[in-house]
Amino acid sequence: MISWFYELWEFRELLWALTLREIKVRYKQTVLGVLWAILQPVALTLIFTVVFGFFLKVDSGSVPYPIFAYSALLPWTFFTTAVSFGALSVVNNGNLVTKVYFPREILPLASVGAAFFDFLMASLVFASLLIIYHVHITLSILFIFIVVPSIFLITVGISFFLSTINVLFRDIRFVVPLVLQIWLYLTPVIYSSGQVPEKYRIFLSLNPLTPLIEGFRDITVYGKFPSSFHIILSLLISLAIFFVGFWFFKSKERIFADVM
Amino acid sequence: MENVIAFRGVTKKYLITKGKHGLLIDTIGENLFGVFNRKKTHSGNTISALKNISFEIKKGETVGIIGRNGAGKSTILKLISKITYPNRGRVEVKGRIGAFIELGAGLHPELTGRENIYLYGAILGMKKKEIEKKFDAIVDFAEIRKFINLPIKKFSSGMYSRLGFSVCVFCDPDILLVDEVLAVGDVYFQKKCLNVMHSFAKEKTILFVSHDLAAIRKICSRVIYVERGKIIKNGNPRQVIGFYLERSKNNSSEL
Repeated sequence: MISWFYELWEFRELLWALTLREIKVRYKQTVLGVLWAILQPVALTLIFTVVFGFFLKVDSGSVPYPIFAYSALLPWTFFTTAVSFGALSVVNNGNLVTKVYFPREILPLASVGAAFFDFLMASLVFASLLIIYHVHITLSILFIFIVVPSIFLITVGISFFLSTINVLFRDIRFVVPLVLQIWLYLTPVIYSSGQVPEKYRIFLSLNPLTPLIEGFRDITVYGKFPSSFHIILSLLISLAIFFVGFWFFKSKERIFADVM
Repeated sequence: MENVIAFRGVTKKYLITKGKHGLLIDTIGENLFGVFNRKKTHSGNTISALKNISFEIKKGETVGIIGRNGAGKSTILKLISKITYPNRGRVEVKGRIGAFIELGAGLHPELTGRENIYLYGAILGMKKKEIEKKFDAIVDFAEIRKFINLPIKKFSSGMYSRLGFSVCVFCDPDILLVDEVLAVGDVYFQKKCLNVMHSFAKEKTILFVSHDLAAIRKICSRVIYVERGKIIKNGNPRQVIGFYLERSKNNSSEL
């Protein structure tokens, strides 16, 4: 496995070039360009604010609902964008895979990298929202340096897994959007886990994204320090998903060109 | 001279699946869970692209590979560039490979000529600094200076191929693999490419797959003739090409 990382390091310039390509190509010939990266979570926040904050009056605690929703939709949008593009990355780059040699994991990594660029752009909006709403920020915000990498790793791991299966079964193309849509409702994005009846909360904790999304919200808008148990556990789960996904991808990589 | 490429008893099989669920069953059985059991591989479901092939190529040689469509020529190049892997036997390769297998595989139509040079260079394994240094030479060789800031979807197909070939030539590989790429581009550019390859040939190793027998005769020091996954003849270009032509004539009269 060390040699995999070594080779990946050797090809870092290609990873960078392909990430740039993905960012550039995505917004070429669009009028709004990079603004789309911001508009997605913003539009969702507006909708959810109207429906859940205004009509259904979901309790968002000490902060206004838009902040509550955006703080979760920000990492969530990163996750879904990355996974949707990542899952298709190997197949969409079939002409490269069947013609040139390079470590194939660069393709899903580039998709996640490009989505991370969007995440950074949308974070600017988040920062301005925090200021506009006078959200009290504490030192807990420093935990983003653990929570965000955890989200990144789990996203990469899942993308590795899905992009591999998609080479063999193109059904993934249809499965991913459906599952992501359902997954949104199974994750405390538009509600908080505290609002879920106690006896069902166990199911929520089976979702590896729950502690990450809620953790992100807790440390940014609520200024809450996460328990070290939670933070370590979710980091370990993310690492495990990353390594298993990577291993799975690498063990199938050699047949990619043959079945495409 | 040392060997830069060696095939030792290489067999390559491709899985052919029947029906919609054939792939599901085969891959679950053989790939997805890794229980690859050689004895269980149903011979009816695979075709052998290469059958127990062995050959060696020494540093500085220019070797042409000829044969009919589907004989296994491209599979040989794919094995050398590690795009695919043998089922049996070993493929040994030493040195940086410039896999120039199909034009434009690494180019993106929406990006400009400039962006594509950097992208394609990176795909071929060049460092950014290296590309920067050679950038002007690449642009001049491809003769696309006027269009360098246009998205290449506006390029003609000739410009496309010139761009691709130039980047590949300047990536300075130890081994250059060329698969029927000169078919595109005008006669003038083809000539230019052959010249470059000629000047290469002294120090680099070139593998040249083509149906253009005249070009092969002109630049190759050795020719390998492949048919149905086997090497039929391997040696002097004139003799091997003559043999191939003779054999094709006989085959077509049989049909």
